[in-house]
Amino acid sequence: MRFGIAFRLGVLLAAVGFLASGLTGFYAYYVSRDLLVQRARDELLTSTQVLVRRISLTRQEVSRNLQILATHPAAVELLQNHSVDLQNRIAVLFAQVLKTNPYYFQIRLISASDHGLERVRIDRDGGKALRIQGDDLQEKGHYPYVSDTLTMASGTTYLSRIVINHEDGAHAGEDQPTVILATPVVSDSGQKLGLVVINLDLNGVFGLLKADLPSDLDLFLANSRGDYLIHPDASKAFGFDRGRSFLIQEEFPETKPLVDGFLPSVTLNSTRMQHVDTPLVATFVRNDVKIPNDEGRLIIGLAQPLHKVLNQGNQLGWVILQIVIGFFLGSALLAIFIARAISRQINSMSHAVRAFADDHRVLPLPVKRNDEIGDLARSVEKMQGQIKHQLAELQASHAQLEHLAGHDVLTGLPNRRLFQDRLEHALARAQRTGENFALLFIDVDKFKSINDRWGHEAGDAVLKFTALRLATLTRKADTVARMGGDEFVILLNGPTSRKQMVGIAEKLLDSLRAPMQVANQEILVGFSVGISQYPEDGTTTTALMASADQAMYDIKAAGRNGYRFSSPSTTSPGEI
Amino acid sequence: MILLPFAHCWRRIVQGVLLAFFLPLAAWGAETLHVLAWPGYADPDIVKTFEQLTGAKVEVSFIDTDEALWGRITASEGKSFDVFAVNTAELQRYIDKSLVVPIDPSMIPNVARQLPRFRNLKEIPGVMRDGKVYAIPYTYAEMGLIYDRQQVSEAPTSIRALWDPRYRGKVLLYNGGTHNFTLAAQSLHLAKPFSLETQAWPAVVNRLIDLRRNAMGFYNQPDESVDLFRRKHAAILFANYGSQQLQLLKAAGIDVGYAIPEEGALAWLDCWAVTRNAKNTKLAAAWINYLLESEPGQALVKRQGLANTTTQSPVLRTQDRLKWLEPVEDTDRRTLLWDRILAGDRASKVLAAP
Repeated sequence: MRFGIAFRLGVLLAAVGFLASGLTGFYAYYVSRDLLVQRARDELLTSTQVLVRRISLTRQEVSRNLQILATHPAAVELLQNHSVDLQNRIAVLFAQVLKTNPYYFQIRLISASDHGLERVRIDRDGGKALRIQGDDLQEKGHYPYVSDTLTMASGTTYLSRIVINHEDGAHAGEDQPTVILATPVVSDSGQKLGLVVINLDLNGVFGLLKADLPSDLDLFLANSRGDYLIHPDASKAFGFDRGRSFLIQEEFPETKPLVDGFLPSVTLNSTRMQHVDTPLVATFVRNDVKIPNDEGRLIIGLAQPLHKVLNQGNQLGWVILQIVIGFFLGSALLAIFIARAISRQINSMSHAVRAFADDHRVLPLPVKRNDEIGDLARSVEKMQGQIKHQLAELQASHAQLEHLAGHDVLTGLPNRRLFQDRLEHALARAQRTGENFALLFIDVDKFKSINDRWGHEAGDAVLKFTALRLATLTRKADTVARMGGDEFVILLNGPTSRKQMVGIAEKLLDSLRAPMQVANQEILVGFSVGISQYPEDGTTTTALMASADQAMYDIKAAGRNGYRFSSPSTTSPGEI
Repeated sequence: MILLPFAHCWRRIVQGVLLAFFLPLAAWGAETLHVLAWPGYADPDIVKTFEQLTGAKVEVSFIDTDEALWGRITASEGKSFDVFAVNTAELQRYIDKSLVVPIDPSMIPNVARQLPRFRNLKEIPGVMRDGKVYAIPYTYAEMGLIYDRQQVSEAPTSIRALWDPRYRGKVLLYNGGTHNFTLAAQSLHLAKPFSLETQAWPAVVNRLIDLRRNAMGFYNQPDESVDLFRRKHAAILFANYGSQQLQLLKAAGIDVGYAIPEEGALAWLDCWAVTRNAKNTKLAAAWINYLLESEPGQALVKRQGLANTTTQSPVLRTQDRLKWLEPVEDTDRRTLLWDRILAGDRASKVLAAP
């Protein structure tokens, strides 16, 4: 398989295009993933901080409700002077508050006396507010939320640890994650009479908070030791309540500085999650509770599966892939176009060069182009010109050689070889057409004595005069040749009668006999002419030549300076 | 020639003794002892030493609750394990179900190293039945009273100190129904604190309500007790975790003392028992014997903060009484009533039908 330049160039260009767009695309995709993860982390951090803020707000709202209830004159009065009527009024108030706050498990008014006996208690039971009365009211003085709250100043809020509420008879709140907020009820004289206690439904509170977050977020909550309170895997929450702790710093070692209190927040990419197999992006924020409490701090975390974060990246990746494919196809088309444009010029030149090489045809070249191909075309054109010029010179010298081979150098007349050739042509034509022709052998009389007397230059001059006069006297169609030495011959084409021949011969002789201006003097030279005619004197060249030659010798023998036909009957009576 | 038969006989005796000595070792070389224990009872270095001594292989599994222990032993009817550690109270149901077999103490020469209170097995309820020994004491923890020396000038001598009105709101107690009922029964000088008579219940419940009214709080975990003790300035603490809590409180910088009440401090006692299907009881006995050596005993003290049965505990005087835990008459009832008491119910509600 032969791959042309066009193919290889096309593949190369396409590969470069693919590599460039592919690498750019890959890099863009790679960077976009990082950016997405970073953005997810930022968003998670913001969400978590919002969550923390809203927990604070929730706590403040509960605190305000506590203050309203704790400073209610009926509550203060009830703790000082027991009255069923007051008890009923407060129970109605508590029940209303419980109804309007769906994440309250319990609202209670607890006395500081009687071992912390509950005076009014409203429990959530199913969907209803249930009033607990009489013997069902319990003594709570041994619980820290009672003893601790009673040591606190008026207007302050106690916040318990977040625990599973195991208090027997707590109805909806029993065995549920609970946080207790309480505030003391203080008499006008400053005596701590008791406290108002609200049990919060932790899952309810966080359920409400989480409702505003995207559903794919996982919520984590841990206490100051790192014990999980809320975990996507419910079996990990409140592990300490079942005698087995699950610690956030064990699952996410990155959160250890948070638990130890060194950092306010951490964000992390974790592939080590135990409750899910998928990697995730997570943010954990420490929430130091500023009011006096048992919990100290909470760690709130939000996590999002990494694949969800990267989903957008995958969409982007798909777009990038499409762009890459588009660029690749575009570069492939461009590559084909460029490769063809270049190869067409090269092909046209190679075609032109081949045509020139084959038969010297000059085809148009792209010489007008102002680039490497134009340069090449111009070089080829110049080379063609040089070759043509040299060929012309060669042909000229060849023609000259041809001419020299067939002509006599001194007189410029055809020589014996060329004459022989023409004679054969004439014979062939005569045999074909039946036409006649005649040969006239002409010899310079006493040429040797001219040479001897006036020198060779004078001899040559005589020969040149002779040649000139012979050429002048004959028709174009006839051939005048120098056979060598002082011998000339004329081939007369066309049917010629003896009479006409006589006329020609005499006219010839008249012209030749005219004085010649040689070496500054006029000399007179005589000529002997022998004539043979076809077909009468021979039907071959040799025979015709021999006949004419014989006739010429005959006239020389008969006294020179005249003419004679080879056949006696035709001998001119005008001979000298 | 006369000596020949005698010499022949002598050689056989020597051969017999040598065989008796080496055969078990050679046999153990191919055997594996399967041990089920609590964390810290069979550390890898201890196990390795035993393996080197006997040539046997030991595979130890761990459990961390009584229920897990019961589950593992009953699941295989003791086939998967040869020897396991169990407290005296729990042991009873294993004996009831014939999951364990009697142990011949003569196979365990190191019992001679044990302190008198552990050597006299008849005085330890639950380790013997029908004159047979079912368990060899290994480690124990007593539940004494920890008190703040700043607030309590004289070491309490009785558990009645927990009810002392002087310490109202200063008493820290363990949130455990079973123990607390026993504690209340002890304070009432009831003869059988582990099996309450029907007519004794109201008195005990009222006693516990009184205890609750004297209490500052109830803890579950040792560190929780330390936190509460320090933060809320407790005066007296019922130390369910014993000397472990004492160490923690001392480490927290609190000036505390430790007292064993005259009624006898409740104490749990973990023993080694051999399963019915133990493949090699001699190897099991060798394991128990080895653990009574001083090296494993010191490991218990130093690594686990537990007492061993061969050396005197620094917090116990010889005359101090320990009341080894026994199975109670009705764990569920004690737990149910305790939950009500803890929630703050008054006597009438506590004793009401469920």
